[in-house]
Amino acid sequence: MSVVLATYNIKGGVGKTSAAVNLAYLAARDGHRTLVWDLDPQGAATYLFRVVPKVKGGGRKLLRLRTPVQQLIKGTDYERLDLLPADFSYRHLDLALHRFRRPTERLSRVLAPLRHEYEYIFLDCPPSISLVSESVFRTADALLVPVIPATLSSRTFDQLAELADESGWGANGGPQLLAFFSMVDVRRSLHRTVMARMREIRRLKLLGAAIPQADEVERMGEERNPVAAFAPGSPASISYQALWWDIQRRLGMRRR
Amino acid sequence: MTTVELIGDQEPSVERLAEALGERFEIQRAESHVRDRVYMDTFDALLRARDWVLVHADSSLSLQNRLTGDELHSLRWPHLPTEPLLAAELAPGALRDALSRVIEARALLPLVRVHERSDELRVLDSLQKTVARVGVIVPEVVSNAGLRTPLRSRVRLHSVRGYEAELERSRALLAKTMPMAESEVSLLDEALLASGTPPAGASSRIDVGMGGEERAEEAAVRVLRALLAVIDANLPGALADTDPEFLHDYRVAIRRTRSVQRELAGVFPPADLAAMRAEFRWLQVATGDSRDLDVYLLGFDSMRGLLPEQIRGDLDPLREVLKGRRLTARREMARTLRGERAQRLRSDWEALLVALDQRPIADRPDAARPIGEVASRRIRKVYGRMLKMGGAIDQSSPPADFHELRKKGKELRYLLELFGVPLHDEAVVRPMIKALKGLQDVLGHHQDREVQVVKLRSLADEVAVMRDGSAALMAMGVLVGRLQQDAAAARSEFAESFAAFSSCEQRELVKETFS
Repeated sequence: MSVVLATYNIKGGVGKTSAAVNLAYLAARDGHRTLVWDLDPQGAATYLFRVVPKVKGGGRKLLRLRTPVQQLIKGTDYERLDLLPADFSYRHLDLALHRFRRPTERLSRVLAPLRHEYEYIFLDCPPSISLVSESVFRTADALLVPVIPATLSSRTFDQLAELADESGWGANGGPQLLAFFSMVDVRRSLHRTVMARMREIRRLKLLGAAIPQADEVERMGEERNPVAAFAPGSPASISYQALWWDIQRRLGMRRR
Repeated sequence: MTTVELIGDQEPSVERLAEALGERFEIQRAESHVRDRVYMDTFDALLRARDWVLVHADSSLSLQNRLTGDELHSLRWPHLPTEPLLAAELAPGALRDALSRVIEARALLPLVRVHERSDELRVLDSLQKTVARVGVIVPEVVSNAGLRTPLRSRVRLHSVRGYEAELERSRALLAKTMPMAESEVSLLDEALLASGTPPAGASSRIDVGMGGEERAEEAAVRVLRALLAVIDANLPGALADTDPEFLHDYRVAIRRTRSVQRELAGVFPPADLAAMRAEFRWLQVATGDSRDLDVYLLGFDSMRGLLPEQIRGDLDPLREVLKGRRLTARREMARTLRGERAQRLRSDWEALLVALDQRPIADRPDAARPIGEVASRRIRKVYGRMLKMGGAIDQSSPPADFHELRKKGKELRYLLELFGVPLHDEAVVRPMIKALKGLQDVLGHHQDREVQVVKLRSLADEVAVMRDGSAALMAMGVLVGRLQQDAAAARSEFAESFAAFSSCEQRELVKETFS
């Protein structure tokens, strides 16, 4: 059975897609069959993999299991790494989910035929709190939450941590909440201060590895490739590798 | 992902491929690769039987569909495999699960190593996305000693999931300018044949054709030589302890040989046969301890499962004792099998088989008789004997009676498999074997449990002095009780399975078929 990892944050522009693409690339490079499902109608992950952002029949048919999900998967340029592309119709995914009796179970049902085929499934989520994100919470084994070490960004993580507490995720077997610092500029004292403060909060599970604000990450849009593919020795590439090891170590502790 | 391999009369070049494909696609030259692939399967090709193959390449083990090249599961594995590999040695995950289900305790052997030089092209769409991969492969087999045997160069096309149409278009473009056909023999099979490894693996099944009118001595020699080949093939793996099945198949071939010696005694010179029978019996005994301990350890977890969950862990010292004994028994067995007596046995036996038709037949009454007649007579006789023995067994019979019946059952099974199937209608003989197998399973279960009880008692002193030995002893006590219950249950099943085996229909069928 595959492990489902969702890159998620209520806020946009914090490095979710970069994390999903780079971590999935590393998982595949390690020999694991890996799938990225680009759930964001903006289709950034789909764009990075040079795939046309189109799902035959749109999101609704996919949710209704009318289109076999296996037929919609596209191989990327990398061995063992496949993509379930985004589609512009995903902007109405919330509405489509509302029509089902148990809407939050829908994503799991779509993924069910793939759970034996892939060892890791990454969900690249749109930034919001909605029925889509609730479905993701229900489906994922872990939420990977990129946090920019600035006061406002870290507040959004606090909100998510509260949601986890309220939902009793720890006790009820919900997803693990694994946050990591993203777009870090260690020359900025604010970043250093916020990181030090947040690492003191014991209830937050913050991963040790942090992703720097680096040209290579920004260049991904130009290169349309994961950082480790076009700049393997760069600090950003090494940070993603460290993050991936850290995530695997944590997942080894508790798998659903 | 589909992989297609094409072979033509002319040596393919990547420049010609690029030219042909450039008519429709943008082509990007990828880096040239040099990679070693090691293909793995079990000795008896269990993966191949499912159209699978395990390939090591690019620091990964990859389980693939042998026909399509589709990857089913993979695992990072940095070192080139040069030694046998057990599924239990792999990291937990999908690959290990899939392999374990199919190969169980069998080892994966590195069958052949192929060194590949490849020049690859990426076929791109308008988004510069790779939609197919095409390359020229120049392969050679590398032997363990480092000798290289070149194989035919080929063009390999890989599809990318979701872009299968582009692969077909690429193929059509190549067909227009380069006359090539899909390779009838896969690279794997070509490499196996070049290295002298049978692609279908080694089988312990004896498949010797014969006619009913053939001289019994000729048919017997052919069967026995096939059994000797199985003995020879499994000996190295049994000695190296590659996996438990080598010793098992080695012993089964010996037991079948002994069975033919006994049942077709009339085709051999009595004095030579008596000597060989004594020697084969010695060989069977010399390997018995090792096999028994293999069976114990293989079935240890299921035996442990007979205990209440809270005391299952108490049994661990017993496992350690069994492992220690197994090592000692294996060492002793290897010494014996490498020894002069075992080697002389093998050469004497082969010499007897080779020259049997030149020996006088005065003291070999069955030698010149038709095998159909001799084998049928023996099958009827052994079946009749089993009916008598089984008919005399009831719930209170001693374990030895069940054991003797089981031994006789094996005798009948081997006769049916080795001679019944090739000489008679398989559709009739196979169901007979099935009915016999049903009875043998019950008898075997009973016998295994009885033997396990005796063995557990014999190990008690050794376990008692170990750390946590007293808890282990108590758990062994509970286990003895469970095993006895199990043996009693098998006894109660005996009547039903024997009734099926000895039914009027079965008797009639045996009489009719082997008259």
